[in-house]
Amino acid sequence: MRLLLIEDDELLGDGLRDYLRSVGHVVDWARSLAALAAWRGEVFDAWLVDWQLPDGSGLDWLRAQRERGDSTPALMLTARDLLPDRLRGLDSGADDYLVKPFAPEELVARLRAVCRRSAGSAAALMHFGAVDVDLAARAAWLDGRRAELTAREWAVLEALALRAGRIVAKSELEQLVLGFDAELASNALEVHVSSLRRKLGRGLVETVRGLGYRIGPTT
Amino acid sequence: MTIKAVSIRARLARALAVWALLWCAALGLAVWLQFSQEVDELLDDSLQSVAEGLIGPLVAQQLTARPPEPEPEPAPGDGRRFVWQVVEGTQVLGSAVGSPAAPLQTTPTPGFSNRPGWRIFGLALGRDSRMLYVAQSREERLEVQLELGFAVVLAAVPVAMLQILWLNWRVRRDLRPLQDLSLRLAHYDPLQPGATLGPAVYEELQPVQAAIDALAARLAQRVARERDFTAHAAHALRTPLAGIDAQLAVALLEAHEPLHGRLQRVRAAAVRLQHVVQSLLALFRSGAEVQRQPIVLADLVARLPLNPKLTPEVSATQPLHADEDLLTAALLNLADNALHHGATGLLFSTPAPGVLRIADDGAGIDAPRRQALQAALDAEDYAGRTGLGLMLAGLVARAHGGRVELPALERGFAVELRLEPPA
Repeated sequence: MRLLLIEDDELLGDGLRDYLRSVGHVVDWARSLAALAAWRGEVFDAWLVDWQLPDGSGLDWLRAQRERGDSTPALMLTARDLLPDRLRGLDSGADDYLVKPFAPEELVARLRAVCRRSAGSAAALMHFGAVDVDLAARAAWLDGRRAELTAREWAVLEALALRAGRIVAKSELEQLVLGFDAELASNALEVHVSSLRRKLGRGLVETVRGLGYRIGPTT
Repeated sequence: MTIKAVSIRARLARALAVWALLWCAALGLAVWLQFSQEVDELLDDSLQSVAEGLIGPLVAQQLTARPPEPEPEPAPGDGRRFVWQVVEGTQVLGSAVGSPAAPLQTTPTPGFSNRPGWRIFGLALGRDSRMLYVAQSREERLEVQLELGFAVVLAAVPVAMLQILWLNWRVRRDLRPLQDLSLRLAHYDPLQPGATLGPAVYEELQPVQAAIDALAARLAQRVARERDFTAHAAHALRTPLAGIDAQLAVALLEAHEPLHGRLQRVRAAAVRLQHVVQSLLALFRSGAEVQRQPIVLADLVARLPLNPKLTPEVSATQPLHADEDLLTAALLNLADNALHHGATGLLFSTPAPGVLRIADDGAGIDAPRRQALQAALDAEDYAGRTGLGLMLAGLVARAHGGRVELPALERGFAVELRLEPPA
């Protein structure tokens, strides 16, 4: 998944970025609201938003995004643990609320749950014909045999699975899988899609000419 | 030492009742004295009128110096109220039936005079120094005065009773604003924005209410400051802790195998530190406000980051309404205590509505130690007598209006958080 982490604390931001990357996510880290300008128009699977930022409130930023109609799943990361704060956070458009300190393993699990719910699937295990995809275990099986996927291949599969049934534009998929450096490797996506088809069957990822890619609806 | 509260109403009512009785008694006495003087004068006028009425017929009679048939002098109270005598010197020339045999006066005494048992009015018969004496018994006069006194008392007592009732009613009515103030204070939440007791009904209550409002404003200001400080402190403490944990998680992924054990121990210590920080923040907050909500015990226990060495069990049969964050902080510390005492299993249960019991299978403590801990919890004397876990449990229970009990167990140790005020 491609994640936007908005966190001003160096120790936590650095630790989370590295941990999330180590488990296969693409992470962009903004240390302030002003820094978010660099990612304007970019597509993310989820936002991780700190409430208190040096130049404003992450909550207000999130509310503004929702008012603009952006429904990217968002997880609030905050030290505010009081019930009214949690309710305020959730009412402002956050899909989940995680009180610091938290274990990064829990953050990853909640991220998966939030993204699954956003994709309309509560279960971690998804089925696409002969292919089974377990988002929690980050694994895929073809006819019951586990396929060995690289991190990038998994990222492509996960991005398409979370958007199952709808066409994902190539540029969007590039951003989700390759992140900020997408433009640097213009043919990288095709390489990963091709590998996926080789490992999980040619029918799994459909190319919609001129529009993008699609994984069929879950079965 | 408890001081018995004095009732202003009772004291005022008592004082006013005594005052009403004294006032009525004084007034009654004054009325009685005045009336008895008037009655005395009326009776004297009657004596004089009788004498003046009798003198005409008696002058016409030719009374000789022959003494009348002696009659026994009437005893006081025999019904003879008025008597008369015609006396010349020491001789009684004539007298009314029932008058004393002896002359009422032995020397001519015109006008009013007294002798034992009688009030006398003397009038000269005009010649030979004869005197007409008309007398009224003292007993009769006393009876009249007593009847008058009785009538005064009869009039004063109802007036006094009415006064007492009216004053009592007035005292109650005038003290009602105090009762209203007590009721308003019972529902007064100084932490609500713009909270005020409103204008006072009585001038005397204005400074009291103003002082309470000022005190409440200071309290609200202080709580707001503490909330701000807690929010800042929470941010300042929680964020680095989360960062430490994230860095350690990355280090565990990146480090070579020999370092894993060391890193895991450091991470476990960081988690314990997180618990302590959460507890301290909860402690700081426990005196402020409690956010009660229905607790699903199984879910709460499932969310507790318990040490993997502890196996939790849940048996929830009764409803529980509590502040989940405060409860979490208390339970985490109690679980840490259990671990230190060699427990491997924890049973979370609700033996009664609003009661949460956490029992472990550890070494437990002996009865004297348990009683000493209970005494410390009851007295809220935690310093040096209980650990952080029990202290936090005690404060959390008290923040909910309840208390902590340490029931005796055959094996292990149990803590009951009674999270409802006693019935």
